[in-house]
Order: sequence, then C-alpha cells, then structure tokens
Amino acid sequence: MKRIDAVIRPERLDQVKKCLSSIGIQGASAAEIRGFGRQHGHTEIYRGTEYSVDFLPKVLLTIVASDEQVSKIVDAIIEGSRTGKLGDGKIFVTPVDEVIRIRTGERGETAL
Amino acid sequence: MKQPLGRRRLCLSLIQVVATVLLVAGIFGVSSVRCFADNPPQPDPAGIATGDKTNVQDAAGIAFVPPAPDPSSPNYAQQKKDYDEYQAQLAKEPLAGKLADGVGHIRIASNFSWTLLTGYLVLFMQAGFALLTCGLVRKKNAGHLMMLNFAAYVFAFLAYYAVGYAFQYGGAAINAAPANLGGTPTLNQFLFGHGLWGFLGGKGFFLSGPGYDSGSLCYTLFEVVFMETAGYIIVGAICERITFWAFLLCELFIGAFLYPVFGCWVWGGGWLSQVGTTLNLGHGYVDFAGSTVVHGVGGFCAFALAVILGPRLGKYGPDGKPRAFPAHNIVFVVTGTFILLFGWMGFNPGSTLGATDLRISVIAVNTNLAAVAGAATAMLVWYALFKKPDVTMACNGMLAGLVAITAPCAFVSPNSSVVIGVLAGVVVCFGVLFNERVIKVDDPCGAISVHGYCGWLGAVCVGIFADGTYGSGWNGVGATAYLGHAGQGVTGLLHGDSRQFVTQLMGATLCAIWAFGATFVVFWVVNKVRSMRVSAEVELEGLDVSESGMHAYPEDAVVTVS
Repeated sequence: MKRIDAVIRPERLDQVKKCLSSIGIQGASAAEIRGFGRQHGHTEIYRGTEYSVDFLPKVLLTIVASDEQVSKIVDAIIEGSRTGKLGDGKIFVTPVDEVIRIRTGERGETAL
Repeated sequence: MKQPLGRRRLCLSLIQVVATVLLVAGIFGVSSVRCFADNPPQPDPAGIATGDKTNVQDAAGIAFVPPAPDPSSPNYAQQKKDYDEYQAQLAKEPLAGKLADGVGHIRIASNFSWTLLTGYLVLFMQAGFALLTCGLVRKKNAGHLMMLNFAAYVFAFLAYYAVGYAFQYGGAAINAAPANLGGTPTLNQFLFGHGLWGFLGGKGFFLSGPGYDSGSLCYTLFEVVFMETAGYIIVGAICERITFWAFLLCELFIGAFLYPVFGCWVWGGGWLSQVGTTLNLGHGYVDFAGSTVVHGVGGFCAFALAVILGPRLGKYGPDGKPRAFPAHNIVFVVTGTFILLFGWMGFNPGSTLGATDLRISVIAVNTNLAAVAGAATAMLVWYALFKKPDVTMACNGMLAGLVAITAPCAFVSPNSSVVIGVLAGVVVCFGVLFNERVIKVDDPCGAISVHGYCGWLGAVCVGIFADGTYGSGWNGVGATAYLGHAGQGVTGLLHGDSRQFVTQLMGATLCAIWAFGATFVVFWVVNKVRSMRVSAEVELEGLDVSESGMHAYPEDAVVTVS
C-alpha cells in the first residue's frame, strides 16, 4: 500500500477530483496549506511597509491506495492539476505500514 | 507574580489617592449649597419648568421677550422703552403670553430631541470604532481589542458621571449657558477660578443636586458620548500590548480629568473660550464640535501612551526598519469607517444643540465633503507613493477629513470644507509614515495621525477658513457687530481676522501640550510602579486568552467536550 501526497494549486482541486472519480477512487483527504518551490512569492506593501509573502496557498491532497492503483492515480492527479506554469506542485509517494478501518476494525488492503 | 513590598504599597497609595479625590468631590457636590442673595436657580428634574416664552426667538435669533434693561448699558433708554412696551402689551394680551410659553416649550423640546438623538448617533460610533480597530490588528488580538473598546465605554462613562461632567460643565451657566437647552442655570460655579477665568467646574458631581436637572442631563448625555470618543481613540495606539488594568486606569483618567479639564477651558465657559473678551483675541478659542477638545485630546494622549509603552514586539527589526503587521479583517475596517461616518452626522450637526439652528444642514454637508475629500486625497497620495491605494489608508483619510472638519464645520463654506479635507488627507498620510519610519512610535491604527495631527489641523483651519457667516456673538464676543460688520460671525485669516488665526494656533498647540504632557507625567509614574505592558510570552501568543479569557474566533481554540 502506498500513500500519495499531492501539493496542487487550490483552483485545480475540482478538476483533480473529477479526474480521480473517473478512475474510481474510494477516498481522499484535502488540507489547505502554504508552500513554495521554484515559484517565488511576492512582495506586498501594507501602510507603506513592505513584507514578503513567500508561502503561497496550496492544497495538500492525500490518498492511500494499493500498489497497483498508484500509477493510475498519479496520472489522474497530473491530468487534473497541470497548467504548465511554475507553481503546479509536486506529488510524493511513500510506503504505508498498516491501514485500519475504525468502524469495523478491518486491517490491510480490505480497509482501503 | 509577587511584587516587592514597596511597589505594592505605592500601588495601594495611588488607589487611596484616587478614591479620596472622588470622595471629596462627592462630598463637595452633595454639600455645595452656596446660597445667593436672591433666588438660587432650582434644578428641574421633571422638565416641567424648562422652556417658556423667554426661549422664543425668530429665525435671526431675536428674542420674543426683550432683555431686562441694564442701567450700565449705553442703550439703557431704548432697552427700557422696549421692555416697558412689551410688559404693557403682555398685560393687554395674556393669551399671547400663554401661547408664547407653549411655543418656547416646543422650541426647547425640539432642541432636546435633536441633542439626544444626535447623541445616540455619536454613541453608535463606539461600534464603528470597535470594528475599525479590531479589523486593523492581528487575529490573535481581536478579542482583546473588542474588550478594550467595550470597557472604554463602561469605565470612562462612570468616571465622567462621578466627576467629569461637573469638572467640565459645573460652571457652564457663567459664560457658556446652552441657551438651546434652556440654559442649565444651576451649573453656575467654578471649583477653580471665577468669572472669565474659569479652570474647573464645581457643580453637578454624581449628576446630583444641580446636576439632576432635565436640561443639564440632556447636555450630559450629549457630552458624555463626546468624551467617550476621546476615550476610545487611545485604543488605536496602545492595543496589542497594554494590560487590561492599565487600560482601565487610562479610561478613568480621561473620563475624570484629562478630557473634562480642557473641555471646561473651551466649552464649559472656561478661560480659553473667554480670551476674546479678556485678551482681545478674536472670538476666543473656537472649536465647534471638538477637533481638539475631543480628537486632539484623544490623539495626543494616545501619543504619550504609545511612547511610554514602546512598540509591539517585532515591529522594528534589528536594523530599525519597521515590519508590517497586516490587518486581519478589512471587512471590519471599512464597515467600521462607514459607521463612524454615519455617527459623525450626529457629532457635527448635533453640536448646535438644537434643530432650531438651521445651520445644521450646512454643517452636515460640510462634514461629508471633508470626509470624501480626505479619503480621495489619501488614496491618490498613497497611489502616487506606493502604486496601490491602500484601503486602510483610504479609511484613515476619510476619518482624517472628518476630524479636521469637526472644529470648522459650522463656520466655513462647502468649498473650504473640500480644501480642509484635502489638507487632512495629506497630513494623515505623511503623519503615518513619519510616526512609523522617523520617530518610530508604533501606532497600529494610525490614531495619533488621524486624531492628534488632524485635530490640531482642524482647529487651525477655523482660524484660516472661517468666513464670518455664522457664530455672531460666539463666546460672548461681537454680539451686535464684529470687525465693523453687523452680525459678523467667527472669521479666519482669509476673511480678514488674523487674531483668530493666532488664537487658534495657540489653543490647538496648548491642547497638544496638555494632553501629551499630563498623560505622560501620570502614566510614566504608573509604568514605573508597575509595567503597563503584557509579558513577551503573552504578547506573542496574543492577548485574547490572557487578558479577556477567551478567543475571538472559536476555531483558534480546540475545545474538548468531556
């Protein structure tokens, strides 16, 4: 089982959701975060004093899936979120030790 | 945190001194029964003896009942003739006299309604200022800001009820009787000073005895909400780092002492209003609705407190350059500004104390013109400097215009009001930059620039732009003629009165010195006894929890249900 963390532009979340539902996803979590990469922040000015906004609003989408599904999910996320401009984001894939469904106590792939 | 014994004793002594002063004033108020040789004026708590034929006037202000002839006057013969004719006519037509009594009562009643209702508008400004300042600070301090604004109203009011009103207006009947409200004849004694040199009023403590009078209480309501305005101005400069107990002391100080003293000098018939008569200085110091009495006092008091407290943690970097602490809610800032603008429709026109004074429409329009001119100028200036018309500065610009027009609003033309608004817009922009970058006084909401600097400007503008169309007989000067013209009112430099300009400069500067100086002296001592600032940990976490016990925004607290 793998955990897929995708940092994407907030305005692309809807499109990514559409692409994921079309391949049949069972669940996902989304959090509002701030981040930066090669897309630099910008300088704002408040009452005459400059300040930099380095960390820009992003969405962190987290999905845990079985190994076979990972590449389909990654492709769907890329299809929904890519604009071709700096700031599209990144996807991280990490291994998961255990998955438990709280309601029934099931463990392993059946809990996904 | 245990304090050294010496400091604790000093704290207690301070409280004892304050309590003693209030007790003495209370006793003084209750026992001050100085009888006059003839009838002492009686208070009229039920309002059944206020408003009669002596209050009837025509549009030009000429009284229905001629004044009693004055043997020392050069016009004595003519006065006696007019008076005798009136008495003879009254004897022939008693019904006309009764009708005149009814008319006089209605006139006073309409003025009472006006004064009270405009007073309620000014009261509503409390909400506007609370929103404005809350929006301008960081989210972690939002609850603290609301608590300050709320407590300001409560505690300053109580201080003003106890001694403030009496200090400010206890001698009003001597030189500044509010004729539109029936004259408040029972407020006829100065505590310090007498005649044309009054320094502090001495009747009406705890709004009892001479203060328990329907005319006086109408005046009290109107004037207390003006004092409250000065009281909440300081919040804008001292927020995000002041302790609650220190803030309460500030409010008691303003309500009981700082505001009423200068208010007595200018509006309570005190010495500064009478220098036209005593020192031949124009119409004396003139401030129609309080650019200096209210806003200048508040702004310069805020200045002194901000200097004593020091800047917020992290406001200035190690190189001394300022850092931005952006507003957390611009929605509050703009809504608050509009509420203040609306309330100002009570602040300025209400200061006629009567709907029967038809200058109220001129005042209302002048006020709005200065407001919009100030806002537009601030936006343009800021755009020219920084390529963005910062909305918080635009709001400050509108308020600056309003503050600056507050003194001259009754005495100037619409065109002059626009100019005054423009000047205020420029002053507030450069004032904010000056405070932040040059003298490095941290003023989160721009209160010092908007209210202090522009308040001073407003009073000086009276001395520049007043055109003589209103205010004939102001402060007892030039009742029949002034500068050679019959009916000439308060006049400024551009219309031929340089003395008024000098008087305004002096009075406005005196206001700044008084408000800054008295506040600095008192609170420098208080701060030495016990620091008025919260600890560094509290300031970094935000004052919501430590000072008012709860978060302003519930999602900031993770609440567990057990």
